[in-house]
Amino acid sequence: MTTFIVRRLLQLPVVLFAISLLIFGMMQFLTPEQRAATYAKTEQQAQHLDAIIRQYNLDKGFIVQYSTWLKEVLHGNLGFSKQSHEPVLDTIRKRLPVSTELAIFMFFPTLAFGIWMGTLAAIHRDKLIDQFVRVFAIAGWSLPTFVLGIWLLAVLYGYLHCCGIGRADDRYLVEFAQGTLRRYTGMITIDGLLNGRLDVTLSGLKHLVLPVLTYTVVASAQIMRVLRSSMLDVLNSDYVRTARAKGLPERVVNLKHARRNAIIPIVTIAGLMFAFMLEGVFFIEIIFNIPGLGQWSVPAAVQLDFPAVIGIALLTGLVVSVANLIVDILYGIIDPRISFQ
Amino acid sequence: MNPQDMKPQRDPWYRSKTFKRFRRNPLAIVGSLLLLGFVIVAFMAPAITAPQLASISSARPCLRDLGVKRNEAVSALRNPLNPVFWKATLAPPQSCYNIPRDGFSPLPKPPSKKHPMGVSGGGYDVMYGLVWGTRTAFYVGFLVVGISLTIGIIIGGISGFIGGRTDNLIMRIIDVMLSFPRLVFVMIISVIFGSGLTTVMLAMALVGWAGYARFFRGDILRTKAQEFVDAARALGASPLRVFSKHVFPNAIGTLLILASMDVGSIVLAASGLSFLGLGAPVGYADWGQMISFARGYILGSAQGTPFDYWYVWVYPSMMLVLFGLAWNLLGDAVRDALDPKS
Repeated sequence: MTTFIVRRLLQLPVVLFAISLLIFGMMQFLTPEQRAATYAKTEQQAQHLDAIIRQYNLDKGFIVQYSTWLKEVLHGNLGFSKQSHEPVLDTIRKRLPVSTELAIFMFFPTLAFGIWMGTLAAIHRDKLIDQFVRVFAIAGWSLPTFVLGIWLLAVLYGYLHCCGIGRADDRYLVEFAQGTLRRYTGMITIDGLLNGRLDVTLSGLKHLVLPVLTYTVVASAQIMRVLRSSMLDVLNSDYVRTARAKGLPERVVNLKHARRNAIIPIVTIAGLMFAFMLEGVFFIEIIFNIPGLGQWSVPAAVQLDFPAVIGIALLTGLVVSVANLIVDILYGIIDPRISFQ
Repeated sequence: MNPQDMKPQRDPWYRSKTFKRFRRNPLAIVGSLLLLGFVIVAFMAPAITAPQLASISSARPCLRDLGVKRNEAVSALRNPLNPVFWKATLAPPQSCYNIPRDGFSPLPKPPSKKHPMGVSGGGYDVMYGLVWGTRTAFYVGFLVVGISLTIGIIIGGISGFIGGRTDNLIMRIIDVMLSFPRLVFVMIISVIFGSGLTTVMLAMALVGWAGYARFFRGDILRTKAQEFVDAARALGASPLRVFSKHVFPNAIGTLLILASMDVGSIVLAASGLSFLGLGAPVGYADWGQMISFARGYILGSAQGTPFDYWYVWVYPSMMLVLFGLAWNLLGDAVRDALDPKS
């Protein structure tokens, strides 16, 4: 087990290297002048692009350019974003906690709801609840995040005045800006608790209702489907029959014997969900006006602000590789039959 | 003995058990009917929107490219005996995909006799966009699935048939591609090549092949392990012949069916990108683009009620959801029919 984890950890730099090479390779479609604009912060600097090109070796060969670029990236110089008028890394630092908070709150309800409904559907196969889950799953597949988001925005927020958009009520955001509330993590719900202000946390949670609701409906469908079919497989297996024959209560058989094993494929799905979730976070931030990474980087892409987009791409590469690593290790812990050879 | 007689008798596809299972599924029927509706709307687009083409003056480029006068437009576009009808239906010029504008007022106008589904901000006729958007949807869906399927079959075929190190390397690349979010990939591509519908389709095809390649590789490996392949090899068939005559035809069927069911989700994803402003430009007949200002209309109406301009965004989003629903109902039934266990 330890050897596996170590070996897998050693693979991580290789993957990251490959991703950085890929992203840098795509940047080669831009002219040196365009790429020099990455490092230009002011109008004045933009007047002297030649100097920047020379400073960052943008007119040299591929390998020299790549190593210069990589050195800058590793030192945290991702360039200057026109969209946010500040260095890309600063913007990421500010907005990452917002997106992370949203992602965490989106992830667990989706997973829990999907597993719950999937189990129910498999246990009551072909009954009413199974039909409901089936229809719900197809509907969830057919509803893009942004369409459901807009409908909920109109009905729940616009018409019924429920929940609210943005991150929290304005007065709390003002307090954060003024410094009466300290920013520890950048996540409102946690900062509220750390400041000893439950009302701040509650306001943050209230503003998370619409995003979480939207995402759960859209994304739990896949989990339901996978869990239902793997649960059906397990329910038909011999050891489940044995457990039943021993006279164990149905509930114990279903939850302890069947679901524990049926949940294994979910780990894979949950890993893939990560990539899918990032898209969801971006859409939801834009629709519900949440100042996270998506609300900055998508307009940045439309405005051809490519330092911002390259920064997001590098960050995504890092997050995705680490997430895959965690999933691989989790897989081994959950299912000891999987050998690490 | 005649070699023809030695061929095993095979039922035609419409008598197969798989198709029977599909046919008995009520959801499959609903999906098929919905889809048929969309096909008819897409096919009849010029005929349906002929009044708009004739009455809105900014539709002139489309009529000019079709070579028809304004006062004759309605009768020509609705008469199958007229060559203009077939030109407009089968090969309409690009200019017809631009929604004609009736005035430039930033405020939407509610449905009226001239504009049955209203006019969106900027004077764009909503119904015209919906009807021609159906064509855009089919175009985007089929093209993206077609390109990524082609790449996927080639790469998955190489990976599965050659095996060994090549296989390993390709699978690692596929793992990375599958876990990298499509949206970020599209963002990179559109920053480099500029945004637009073509960029979006290119980017989606460049990402989409990975899933097909992995699936096809799996099917190839499964087929390769069967006895008739061993038999062919024992008879001295060359690897190329084994692959093209025995493995490939037997492995490809399921992939083709499953991939064709992806058209719906591809269209939903592409319209999401148009919604974000990365895809089709403003005024192009594309459902995603038509909803892209919905947020503003919901939050920023003068009276402060969210449904003041409902016709601008409810219709296109309904079209999108119904289109996705049609394909997903169909896809669900197909998957059930192919694999009765699940």
